Amino acid sequence: MRRFLTPKSLIGLGIVVIMVTIAVAAPFVIPASFATRMQLAMRLQPPSAAHWFGTDQLGRDLFYRVMLGARTSLTIAGAAVGISVTFGLPLGIISGYFGGWTDIVLMRLVDTLLSFPALLLALTISAMLGPSVPNTIISIGVAFTPFLARIIRGEALRVAQMPYVEAAQATGTSGFAMIIRHVLPNVLPLVIVQGTISLAFAILAEAGLSFLGLGTQPPQSSWGLMIQTSRDFLDVAPWTALVPGAAVALTVLALNMFGDVLRDVLDPRAQR
Amino acid sequence: MSYILRRLLSIALTLVLISMITFGVTNILPGDVAMMVLGTQSNPTALAGLRQTLGLNDPLALQYWRWVVGMLTGHFGNSLMFKVPIGPLLLQKMTASALIVVMSMALALACAIPLGVWSAVHRNRWQDSTAASAALLGISLPDFFWGIVMILIFARTLGWLPSSGFTDPSVNFIAALQHALLPACALGLGLMAHLTRITRSTMTGILNQEFIRVARAKGLDERTVIWRYALANAIGPVMTVAGLQVGYLFGSIIVIESLFNYTGMGWVTYQALLNRDIPLIETSVFVIATVVMLVNFLVDLLYLAVDPRLRQSR
Repeated sequence: MRRFLTPKSLIGLGIVVIMVTIAVAAPFVIPASFATRMQLAMRLQPPSAAHWFGTDQLGRDLFYRVMLGARTSLTIAGAAVGISVTFGLPLGIISGYFGGWTDIVLMRLVDTLLSFPALLLALTISAMLGPSVPNTIISIGVAFTPFLARIIRGEALRVAQMPYVEAAQATGTSGFAMIIRHVLPNVLPLVIVQGTISLAFAILAEAGLSFLGLGTQPPQSSWGLMIQTSRDFLDVAPWTALVPGAAVALTVLALNMFGDVLRDVLDPRAQR
Repeated sequence: MSYILRRLLSIALTLVLISMITFGVTNILPGDVAMMVLGTQSNPTALAGLRQTLGLNDPLALQYWRWVVGMLTGHFGNSLMFKVPIGPLLLQKMTASALIVVMSMALALACAIPLGVWSAVHRNRWQDSTAASAALLGISLPDFFWGIVMILIFARTLGWLPSSGFTDPSVNFIAALQHALLPACALGLGLMAHLTRITRSTMTGILNQEFIRVARAKGLDERTVIWRYALANAIGPVMTVAGLQVGYLFGSIIVIESLFNYTGMGWVTYQALLNRDIPLIETSVFVIATVVMLVNFLVDLLYLAVDPRLRQSR
């Protein structure tokens, strides 16, 4: 536990907690009319006392937009990682624990899926299903699954060869009970580490999808979407890009910092 | 030799799987290719007729078979939006993308390896933490954000490089490089940060090993120990990770090429996705996945050629 309490992990965790609080509280703190209110007279105002982060091309307050964007980005990233863990965990454990043909067939499939760049796979699925928040979640979740399955499989394989697992097998514990009681708990630390790092990647993926118009759709607020619309006003109002860009950077940075420390402490492969 | 043969067989199998997955994903929704060609307001009889001619009423398995046989015989079909044969179109786009992918990989490796080594040599000192923080920031920002910042600085403010567009290298090589430089930098920055981290951690592990202590005890100068002894052992893992990142680059080119209006493979795939040009989507997704798979295979072979230990164990 002491190894875990480093400045790096505490700063990372602190920022993540703040971001999650903002995401949860945003709709309660901001009057609905405020975040979507367009005042064309106030368009592209630089940061000021009235508008801390300035305003966008429709005169909407960027501070509120970026807070609402946190909600969209974090919801999508969280749910997408949830999906990839839900599918990747059983796939990886079954493949690693049982081995043999099950392993060969499943991992061949996973390796093939890994040939598709994750962003390309997510974009294609999203474009085919039609861009929307639920479909963005599905597409990122599916695109990240093979990666998680591959990593969990390696760990399950390692755990399955441990003496205590062999001992349990010798006492006649059934396959299913073995997985629940012995394999799963030992794989979980790695899942937590990889889940945290995947969250960072999922936020970047959502930003990329929305930036290309194949993720969150307007008038909903999303960081990627905000950067996309800012492109036309870069010369006159660079803050319209810098504010959401900084939000993405800060969140992803915090998750990476936290994930780095988690990995040093929890990941058995990182210990020297 | 038998190893390479086995790998070739496995490549053939993977290609079949890639084609199946691509076809499956692009056919999640029932084919509206006919509507794409004629428009949503077209008359139902004409739609039905076209569906018949394009074979959209046939079972999916048959459609898949026709697509695969077409590709095997070099008939990739026509793009619905560009109205040109897909084969030559993608070949030209692939060359355009290859230029920025290779440039960004070269830039990333050229910066990441010295930086990672420097970081590992000065482990836990200010040099290390500076490099580590920079690398952490590098992997935390979306590449299109770097792209926007670069456009703002180097194209709009300083006017050194064009902010968008593509020039064919065979027409004007200098102009082609000028157009490719900013996209390549935007692509390479995140990769560089990632590779710096890998180089640092690999080098740190190696510098703690016995043979390094022996080399130092022999009185070899530090430069030789680090660059000839340690780096020679670290380069393999770094190259393997770099090879795996080619897949990441081919995902990123979709965003970066669209941002810079650089008309390569990523740009064309994005246009196809936006316009639901199903034949073009299918083939370009298939081509990208195939290229990524082949690059990984080549990296494996290269690794085999460089590291004699692996040859003996196989």
